[in-house]
Amino acid sequence: MALTRRLRPDGATSSALPGVDSVTRLFSSNRANKIVAAAILPVVVLVVWQLAGPHGSLFGGVLPTPDRVAKAWYTWVFGTNSLGFNPYSGGWLDSVIFSTTRVLQGFAVAVVLGIPTGIMIGWSRLASETIDPLIQLLRPIPITAWLPFSIAVFGISSFGAIFLIALGVFYPVVINTTQGARHVERDLVRAAEMMGAGRFDILWRVVVPASLPAIFTGLRIGLGIGWTAVIVAEMIAVKSGLGYALWDAYYVGRMDVVIADMATIGLMGLLSDQIILVCERYALSWRRVNANR
Amino acid sequence: MASIQISNLNKIYPGPKPVRALDHVDLVVEEGEFLALLGPSGCGKSTLLNILAGFETSTEGVVLFERQTIDKAGPDRGVVFQEAALFPWLTVFDNITFGPRVQGIKRAVYEQAAREMLDLVGLSDFAQSYPSQLSGGMRQRVGIARVLVMKPRALLMDEPFGALDAQTRLTMQELLLDVWQRLKITVVFVTHDIDEAILLADRVCVMSARPARIAQQIAIQLPRPRSIDDLTSPGFIRHKAEIMQVMRAAHSQKHIAAA
Ligand SMILES: Nc1ncnc2c1ncn2[C@@H]1O[C@H](COP(=O)(O)OP(=O)(O)O)[C@@H](O)[C@H]1O
Ligand SMILES: [Mg+2]
Repeated sequence: MALTRRLRPDGATSSALPGVDSVTRLFSSNRANKIVAAAILPVVVLVVWQLAGPHGSLFGGVLPTPDRVAKAWYTWVFGTNSLGFNPYSGGWLDSVIFSTTRVLQGFAVAVVLGIPTGIMIGWSRLASETIDPLIQLLRPIPITAWLPFSIAVFGISSFGAIFLIALGVFYPVVINTTQGARHVERDLVRAAEMMGAGRFDILWRVVVPASLPAIFTGLRIGLGIGWTAVIVAEMIAVKSGLGYALWDAYYVGRMDVVIADMATIGLMGLLSDQIILVCERYALSWRRVNANR
Repeated sequence: MASIQISNLNKIYPGPKPVRALDHVDLVVEEGEFLALLGPSGCGKSTLLNILAGFETSTEGVVLFERQTIDKAGPDRGVVFQEAALFPWLTVFDNITFGPRVQGIKRAVYEQAAREMLDLVGLSDFAQSYPSQLSGGMRQRVGIARVLVMKPRALLMDEPFGALDAQTRLTMQELLLDVWQRLKITVVFVTHDIDEAILLADRVCVMSARPARIAQQIAIQLPRPRSIDDLTSPGFIRHKAEIMQVMRAAHSQKHIAAA
């Protein structure tokens, strides 16, 4: 019973035919309206862009029209990776996997280090006075400024990229977690003490769950920065992935691939944000249980 | 036997402008007694209760609970907070069993007690609900159940019904009377509501404005068991008149002292 409530916090009863249920919802509810509303501007932009370049490009051949981008993208995704002259025939998925893997690795390192650090800083005065100043000192250094350092230390390798991503993700995760842990309601901590909770129980059963909303804010911001970091790192410090392809395509004058690459990055960022949102909705279901009342 | 003994208790909150919250408070609470602390808001009632709970330390004086110096909070003194202070990420059942769980008690041992407490406060159907799905009164019932399940030696309640509407407050007062009648546990109940103090307590301590002293103690003679019908009984009205007079006197004395 607890599980069903968690999954369906709105308390709505699902239809006997789930397929029918979701189809009706898609077309009848205001969800369909929302999708239409969201699509209007992108469609207008694409149409204007397409019509502005009657010969397949704009700005004197610099900017290809959407149909050419789509074609290049299609070839990049589905083309056979032969020894032909087009390096952007096939290989898209490899690039996506390279970049995504790096983002995930850097993100994981940042989360594993950032959440406990943030909890400690927010909860313990000692940690706040010793660790926080160092973080505040290093934080203003943009990750781009770390590039030479990273290459010098890790060489041209995945580690350099992962280092930069982890660094970029770490700051928002640690800062938001700190905020969350610092502002736990005093009475919640007192209630736990009164019920016999020790220091560890208070941390694990009160401070951590009370900080979760702030932690998720940090994760969302962090993941966005992670995608920025992976592109920057791959443009300079590694020789694979979407960032590398982006810069390489630009060098060989393939603006259609450049734009397809940009669109890919955008979609991956959107997708990963949605995944975090789903996790957040699940982990914080207790917050929304009466949202639909 | 005395459950709580306070002698010469002083509390000054340090800071750039130190606040004297308690001024030479002496108080004894007998075992099984229902004591109400009545006073205007800001006078130091919560401070006194928080020292009893072990959330705050005293500046000076002796505070004993069952002959032991109070040094930290613990399950022997169950605290009911004004805003319930439930864990919003836990279900009602998990909130109620939080105490036993952190104390390392086995589920088989506490589960039955938790169900009984849910039943006692009338929330058996809401075991799997989250606090955000409950009304204010229901949340406060959970707040009471989660301390009762720990079988505390005393209940410390800080304006627990202060945030509720009048109707719900009456229901909750009746529930508390009922619970106390069954368990006969020591209760220290903070309130600024005269009716509430008289209806619930064996003894009402009227506190003066800050820094709080105990201006007068009034034994409430109404027979037990009580119900909200007592709110209109002649004995009740007499007590109310008496207490209002005491409060007025305590207040004007302050003004004379300040002038
Ligand atoms: N942590 C604190 N630091 C400084 N002053 C405080 C603190 N807590 C309470 N006070 C002050 O002590 C006085 C008594 O407060 P409190 O015990 O909360 O009163 P009551 O519960 O009767 O309303 C008030 O003037 C309040 O501002
Ligand atoms: Mg108070």
